[in-house]
Amino acid sequence: MSDSDLPAWSEPFVGERRTGLLRSRPLGDLDRATVFGGTDGAGVTVAIIDSGVERDHPDVGGQLVRSVVIEFGDDDEPTVRPDPEAIDVVGHGTACAGIIHGLAPAAELISVRVLGPDNKGKGQIFAAGLEWAISQGATVANLSLSSRSEAMFPIFHDLADRAYFANCLLVSAANNVPGASYPSLFAAVVSVAAHDVGDPWTWFYNPAPPVEFGAYGVDVEVAWKGGGHVVATGNSFAAPHVAGLAALIRSRYPQATPFEVKTILAATANQPA
Amino acid sequence: MSPARRLADRLDADGLNLLRAIARRGGIARRLEDGAERAVLRSIVEATVALFDAEASSIALFDPARSQLVFEVAAGEQGQGVIGLAIAPDQGIAGYVFTTGQPLALSEVERDARFGRGAAEATGYVPRSIIAVPLIDEQGSLGVLEVLDKRSSAAFSLRDIELASVFARQATVAIRASRVERDIATLLQGTLASLGGSDDPAGAATVQRIVELATADLDGDDEGRLWTIVDRVARLRQADPGELELLAEILEVVAHRAERRSSQRRRSGRARGVE
Repeated sequence: MSDSDLPAWSEPFVGERRTGLLRSRPLGDLDRATVFGGTDGAGVTVAIIDSGVERDHPDVGGQLVRSVVIEFGDDDEPTVRPDPEAIDVVGHGTACAGIIHGLAPAAELISVRVLGPDNKGKGQIFAAGLEWAISQGATVANLSLSSRSEAMFPIFHDLADRAYFANCLLVSAANNVPGASYPSLFAAVVSVAAHDVGDPWTWFYNPAPPVEFGAYGVDVEVAWKGGGHVVATGNSFAAPHVAGLAALIRSRYPQATPFEVKTILAATANQPA
Repeated sequence: MSPARRLADRLDADGLNLLRAIARRGGIARRLEDGAERAVLRSIVEATVALFDAEASSIALFDPARSQLVFEVAAGEQGQGVIGLAIAPDQGIAGYVFTTGQPLALSEVERDARFGRGAAEATGYVPRSIIAVPLIDEQGSLGVLEVLDKRSSAAFSLRDIELASVFARQATVAIRASRVERDIATLLQGTLASLGGSDDPAGAATVQRIVELATADLDGDDEGRLWTIVDRVARLRQADPGELELLAEILEVVAHRAERRSSQRRRSGRARGVE
């Protein structure tokens, strides 16, 4: 199968097709109450690599503890600059923050703004943002973006490995456009597409990678720029749901490694009806 | 001696003629394709509006010279106001989708006063719902396709995102095809780099200089006539099939006559040579 024949990643998670996900789980079903009961994300830091997060948005609940911008410096290398204003230039990062905060209200949030004013080197900016988040000890990093540049393949691959060994779980929105996109298609990453069940506590596991999880991403009421809200659809709103769940798992089991978190997410996923 | 001149000197007459021929074809393609690209993009947004039964659809392309996304074509009753609008590539929904490659659909945006104000100021129309998908391929992002307000529904579905992505893919292929024709410098750079056998860091500038040297005469009086014909042919894109057939017949007659004249010249030349 050539790259251009790759399917739309949300397809296995939508409507009738979901029955294809039904399977007997090797470890059996884990009780959700055991895993998630009483957890609130305390002790966990989630980095949101996106368009910025509006610190004062009510949906963020005052949990944004740090905000930086990645941009090209005078030496043409990506540099990290503090963003004391903590703004969101689009609204999208605030949407992700609101979703994560809704699931894991005690988790601390870090915003890494990576949308540059020009098209040049944006893959490098993404990568530098991710690298910085890993170096800051983020427990979970939410990436509702990816790069299609072949040149970025080894760089993101290296970063995905570094995150894995640093015990930082990367949660990435699958890209619905045909062709490869990084880092969402790497095995060490939790790749997420949207399903159409209107419930943040419904998620599915897909045993046929590369996209392993389906989460709520259709007609989601999300926070947006300027303290507002919109109703949004896209894989990039599904990823923060899984990031929020991962934050809860790490809050309950602080020592859990990325593959253990992924295993728990799979073992607590909804079985299609 | 400049590196460009040195490399040009290393090319023999055949090489230089080849360069001229490529540049000439590139120039013709550029004149012909400029309009064609826009025509294809316009037909794509028209088809998008029809398929979604939408109020508007538009395509914004990234202009590297201005570092802005510029709305180039639009269709639908509410679409025209957006043409020519330029936005920063890190701003707004179009900017986000362009930069991240992630398609989005938003609805109930009219509830959000800022959305309405911004959109009304820029385009004279406040949408209720927006879908935005990237024009993207392995070589990178070219722009964004937007669809506003499906008349039959208050929101866009995942399926709508996928459908819009198919149209975006068409637009991307069309743009790439015409840019491949146009991007003569890239082609020449590769060729000359292998001819020159060096990894000259100033390669692009060198190539540009060589192309200038090789094509310095292309806009002379002789070529002026050629460009007149090229431009007239470009205008014939609007012609109907009957008119195109007539054109083909006329061109055939002209070409036939030119061939005959040229072979007569060759014969008389040979005859003179024998004398």
